[in-house]
Parts: sequence; structure tokens; C-alpha cells
Amino acid sequence: MLTVDHLSAAYGAVRALDDVSLTAPEGEITAVLGANGAGKTTLLRTISGLVKPTGGTVTLAGRDLSGLSTEDLPRLGLAHVPEGRGVLTELTVEENLRLGALGGGRRAGSADLARVYELFPALAERRSRLAHVLSGGERQMLVIGRALLSRPKVLLLDEPSLGLAPRIVVQIFELLRGLVRDEGLTVLLVEQNARSALSIADRGVVLNLGAVVVRDAATTLAEDDTLRHAYLGF
Amino acid sequence: MSRFLAMPTTRRHLLLALGALVVVVLVLENTSQFRNAQFAAMAYYAIAAGGLTILTGLNGQLSLGHGALMAVGAYTTALLLQEPDSALPLVLVLVLATVVTLVVGALVGVAAARLHGPYLAGATLALAVAIPGIPLYFSETLGGDQGLRVRMPDIPVWLDDAVYFVTGQGLTPTRFLAYLGWLGVIVVFVLLANLARSRVGRTWQAVRDDEVAAELAGIDLGRARVLAFVVSSGCAGLAGGLLALSTRLAAPSGFALTLSLLLLSAVVLGGLGSLTGALVGAALLAFLPQVVTGFGADLGLTDVQAAEIAPLIYGLVTVLVVLLAPAGLAGGLRKLIHWRRGT
Amino acid sequence: MQQLLTTVLTGLTLGMVYAAFALALVLIWRATRIVNFAQAPMAMLTTYVALVLIDAGYSYWLGFAVALLSGLVLGALVERFVVRPVEGKSEINAVILTLGLFIVFHALAALVFGSRFRSFPAPFGLRGFQVGDTTIALTGFGVFTILAVAAVMVGLVLLFRGTDLGLRMRASAFNQEVSRLLGVKVGRMLTLGWALAALVGSLSGLLIAGGGLVHPSYMDGVVVYGFVAAVLGGLDSPVGAVIGGVLLGLSLSIVSGYVGSELVPLAALVILMAVLLLRPGGLFASVRERRV
Repeated sequence: MLTVDHLSAAYGAVRALDDVSLTAPEGEITAVLGANGAGKTTLLRTISGLVKPTGGTVTLAGRDLSGLSTEDLPRLGLAHVPEGRGVLTELTVEENLRLGALGGGRRAGSADLARVYELFPALAERRSRLAHVLSGGERQMLVIGRALLSRPKVLLLDEPSLGLAPRIVVQIFELLRGLVRDEGLTVLLVEQNARSALSIADRGVVLNLGAVVVRDAATTLAEDDTLRHAYLGF
Repeated sequence: MSRFLAMPTTRRHLLLALGALVVVVLVLENTSQFRNAQFAAMAYYAIAAGGLTILTGLNGQLSLGHGALMAVGAYTTALLLQEPDSALPLVLVLVLATVVTLVVGALVGVAAARLHGPYLAGATLALAVAIPGIPLYFSETLGGDQGLRVRMPDIPVWLDDAVYFVTGQGLTPTRFLAYLGWLGVIVVFVLLANLARSRVGRTWQAVRDDEVAAELAGIDLGRARVLAFVVSSGCAGLAGGLLALSTRLAAPSGFALTLSLLLLSAVVLGGLGSLTGALVGAALLAFLPQVVTGFGADLGLTDVQAAEIAPLIYGLVTVLVVLLAPAGLAGGLRKLIHWRRGT
Repeated sequence: MQQLLTTVLTGLTLGMVYAAFALALVLIWRATRIVNFAQAPMAMLTTYVALVLIDAGYSYWLGFAVALLSGLVLGALVERFVVRPVEGKSEINAVILTLGLFIVFHALAALVFGSRFRSFPAPFGLRGFQVGDTTIALTGFGVFTILAVAAVMVGLVLLFRGTDLGLRMRASAFNQEVSRLLGVKVGRMLTLGWALAALVGSLSGLLIAGGGLVHPSYMDGVVVYGFVAAVLGGLDSPVGAVIGGVLLGLSLSIVSGYVGSELVPLAALVILMAVLLLRPGGLFASVRERRV
């Protein structure tokens, strides 16, 4: 569904992505792993156009995304939940959600919102409150819900577990797994928390210094001790 | 050339000053009264611009109130010269005008030291609009709308004789003011240039570049800022005094908001932080209006309308400079010199 | 008593106009973090456009509408082509840019329209209403002023809180990057923000001019008062701008009435400094600290 082909990007003289190629198949969770600074966030930002690549292409459902601006992508089915979550704290919970739908090209109907509130009851309770009041876990639910409202084909998630209690992380990851199963979403999941990521992912790609060092099925990666020690920290 | 640039700073500055003095004498003696008056204007604009460019360029404080500070200097000068019998030497009058403006500058600077960016701009803008209202309110002592006439004191006889001895010509009031102004420019610029190169100047730049780092390095932010403001205010005060003498008038209309804005644009055009740039900006302020008014008359505009072409140009060039060359003209030149030195 | 009433009513009317101008400044500040000092001469230019039409025989209302429309267009053009390159970069550059524009617009107005003072009409009359046998200091035009500004504010609230477009504009102002990821065309929202702000600024220009004299510098004081009002209310808050404007209008009216009109700008300066040094976030800020 999402193909990255020889993608390179740089911040000035620093090579952040070095000839990265990967495929995120439809209906699967592909984990992107690696140490801090390995280029995981840069990869997502380059895919969604916030960073201009110095080479290579990104293809979404057969369509080449080169030259398109970031704001065009949600309508094509790409949703990117950025590092830090990107909650618009000065807007209400419901306004955040409505924006998600608008990005996908349509207004949020009451049925759409109801579905999200069903998935995330905590959001329903606080729907008219400013997003500012949400806890970390609730914010993560908000941005996932917001992304879902744009009816994406591909979901890019940048470190959803960051700053969350382990119990909440489990909750969210279970949810993700369920969503992928039920909706047939394609998910590209960037995570520092490799262990949790690999527990729900189908396949994994490991980055180091901007380049791909390993790609394999998630279970294989989780079982490879040398690899885990070298790149994944456990 | 490289030997010149390699000299210790102070000596280099003094040599430049001496050279400048010679040039000033040559130019002023050989040009008409009209031109002398224009050079006199260039001088006081240069002094004000020099102070402002140091404040904004080196210390990062954007002031829109320096026109108002010039007004302080101008009115002080006018008041001190009001009594025909008081034999205060002109130089002393100007020094006093500078000192009074220094004090006002200190007050403003203390208030302004905590403000940045648009807040500082807005506050000094408010100052620029507020000050002209004061002589209107205290119209008996400060002349109200009409302003105060500035009595030009007689030129000291010994000076007239000395100049005649050197140049073979007498000293008219206009030329005298031009000399006074340019002497002021040379003295002020040498002072400013030395300050800029000294530890004080480096402190100012540190405060501009990174407040947190500067504070951690032990710099008192407030004091550095206020000092920069005070120095630039003194320059404005001196410039205002010279302006009052040249125009023979200190009136609110002469110090409207436009003056502060034009000063700022002159400084931007020349490059923030550059004294050479301040000279360039001052030259534009002094000479461009006449050039452009002639051009405007050719286009069939009235005098009043043609007079607006000069500010239009300043404004447009300011906008262009910000969009295309944020370092300003002189800044671009300096980069060129450094590049050549490096190769 | 009579004088107090006059002072209050004058202050209220004038305060609403300052509130409108302050609102224009706040709209632009929230969207692009720039204080548009050039808003004053922009409003002055659009008022001149109206004046030209009115002097040519067209109705006041046509001039009014064209002025507002020109404001919209001018604001959009300025943002898109002049200010866009400096958005998000050094603060000082943006300030200098708006000041350069200030000078340009001033000079253009003087060149094209001349510098002499010209009178501008005021609809609904400038005579105070009669109550019994006293005339109170509220004129027809004054009521129109208050209602017009109130209407614009309500319109803006409806736009921002009640429409999808308004939602997108607010999102763009809060976080450009996240908004882009959500499919919001941020550039267009910013242009629209400036256009609306300029429209509000034009309105205040027309209202200040009504019954008075127009000349290239006539809005210069208003930029200061608008700025002070915006700071009073907290530069981020549209509601604050309105309250700040009214409060400032009242305060300055008192100074004008009881001390002297020449000292009004000085009073504004004093109020500004008091707020910036004591309560930098504005009168209503919950947060005491604010980088000013």
C-alpha cells in the first residue's frame, strides 16, 4: 500500500535518510525501529512532505507522492500522527476531531463522531472541553481518533507510546491491533519502545544512521538476540 | 591596505578621523552655501543614525522613538539659547542638550530594557507620538504649535579669524554649523567605533544574540541595554540640537512620527550596526529629497507631492532590503571584504 | 455630571473604534505572530478610496463598501507577497518590514491623494440626541459606530467558532505544522486572516474619519491606541482587545476632558508602560509571566 523507494533526505550537510526502501503492506502493521537519531521521525516527515527528499520516491496505493504538498495528502488517504501527538490544545476535543474529518475532505457527521466516541469513551466525556485538559493517554486516543476520521488508507504513527504509562501503552496498542484487523488499515509505526511495537507488528524495519539495516517479520526480529541488543536496546 | 587594517583599533580610528577632518574642510570650503546647509543636515542625521544603528544593530533594540529624543535635544537647545544676554558658548549648549537627552534616554531605557521585538517597537512608537504633544500642552514655555525660535549665537571672532587665516574665506553661520556638525560626527563616530570594538560593544552583541547565555556569563542584561539606549539617546540629543540650530526652530511638526521612521529606514538601508552605513543613510536623508523633487517636478507633480517621492523610495528600499538582503547594503559590502581577506 | 456623561459617552464610542483596530492587530498577531504597524496607513488608504468615490458624487454607503472591500484585497496582497517571506523568521525583520510599509503607504497617500486636510462625511448625523431639554453626547453617528463594530465582532465570532473555515483558520494560527498534516491549506488561511484583519482596520479608519478630517497622518495615533488596547487585553485575545479598547477609550476620554487633549498620547504611553511592566500578559491574563 505504501512504498518507499530509495528515499534520501538531509538537514543541511547532515544525511538524515540514506537510500531507504521499504514497503508497508495493506492491512498490516509495519514497525520502524532504531535508536534515537536513527532517522525514524525523519522518515515519516519525509513521507508526509514536511521534509523535502533529496532523492527517491514515495508511492501511496500506486500513486507517486512526489511534488505534492503536505496539506494534499490527507485527502489522498495518508494520515500522519506526528511526534508529540500534535494535539491542538486551544481547540476542544470535538473541534480536533472535526478537523480530522475536514482533512479527509468531508464534514464529520454525527455517526462518524459517535463511532470515535464509542471507541474512546474518555473523549466522549470531554468532548466540549479544551483538548488541553486531556491526559497523555487521552491525547493519544484523540489524535488517533482524529486521524481515523479522515478515513485514511495509511496511518503514520510517530512514537505513540512516548510518555505514557505502560498500562496505557498496552491499551493503545491493543486498540491499534484491533483497528487494523477491523478496518484493514495500513500502519507504519515508529517506536523507540521496540518490544511493545514488535508485539503487535507484522513486520519490522530497523534503521541506523538513516539507513535500513534489517527488515524481517516481527516475530523473527523479536527473537534475534544479537539484533535486539545491538539496535533495539533489549 | 592590509597594514592599515592590522593597526590597533584606536589608532586606526584616529587616523580615519584625521583624514575625515581634512576631507570635511576641503568639501565645505569648496561648495556653495546651499550645499553647506545640506552637509550640515547630513551631519546631524549621521549622528542620530550612528547612535541608532549601534542600538539596533549591536544591541538588538528597535527604537521608533529616536525622533522624539531628537526633539528633547532640540527643545533644550532652544530653551538654553532663549536669553540673548546669556553668553553660554554654543558647544556648552550642545553638550547640555546631549546630557539632558541622556537623562531622558536613561529613563526611557530603563523602561524599555525589559521589552523585546514588537513590544519595544510599539512602546517607542507610543513615545514618538506622545512627545510632540508635550510642547503643545505647555504652550507658554514651549512655544505650542508654532514652536520656539532658536537664536543662533554669533560666531566667535577668534574662530572667524582663524578660519580666514587657513582658508582665505570668512565663516558664515551656515558653514559654521556644518563644521560644528561634522566635528560632532567625527567625535561621535570615533567614540561609537571604539565602544563597538570594546568589551562594552561585545557585551551588547552578546545580549542581542542570546540573552540566556549572556546572563549565564554574568552579564547584567538590564544595565547593558540601558547603557546602549543612553548612548544612542545622547547621539539623538546632540543631533536634535544641531537640527534646531540649522532650522532655527524647535516645533512639534518637525518631530512627527515620520522622523523616527525615516531614521530607522536610513539605518536599515545602510546596514544595522554599521557606522559607514549610517553615513550612507544620512546622505540619503540629506540629499535625496532635493534630487527627487526636481525629478518629480519634471513629471508634473506639485512641490508638495514631489516631496513625498523621497520617503516613498526610503520605504520601498527598506521593504526590499528586508526581503532581499537582510544585512543591508553595508553589511553586504563587509561580507565581501571579509571574504577577500580570507582568501 | 453633564461633563462626566459626555466624557463617558465619547470614550465609549471612541473606545469601540480602538477596539476594532486592536482586533485587527490581534487577528494578525495570532495568525502570524507579527504586529502589523502598517495597518494604520492601510486603513487610511482605504478611507481615501472611499473619499474619492464620495467626492465624485457616489453615495456614502458605496464608498463605505468599496473601502471595506479594498481593505480585504489590500490585506491579502500584503500578506501573500510582502509579508509571507518573513513569517516565522526573525522578529526584528518583520517589524522593520511593517514599518517600511508604513512609510510607503504614507508617501503613496500623500502622492496620490494629496496632503491637505479633507472632511469626511458621517452618516446618521453628528448632533447629540435630545433628552428632555439637554443634549447628551451621543450622536447618531456614535450609535452607528458602536453598532457597526459590534456587528463585525459578532460576525467574526460566528465565523471563527461556527464555521469549518473559521476552525481551519484558528488551527493554522495555533500550530501550522499540525494543521498542514490535517489537510489545512495554511498559507491560504493566513492570507485570509490578514484580509479580514485589514477589513476590520478599514472599518475603524472609516469610523474615525467620520465627521472629522482626513489626511495621511490621521490614523497614526490610532495605531498606538490600538496597540495599547490590544496589549491591555493580552495580545492573543480578541475579547481582550475589545475590552481593552473600550477601557482605553474611556481612560483617554477622561484625560482629554479633564487634563488636555494634547496629553492623550502621553497618557496612552503611560498606560502601555504600566501594563507591560506590571501585567505583561494583559489585564485578564491568568499567567503572570509573558515574554514581552
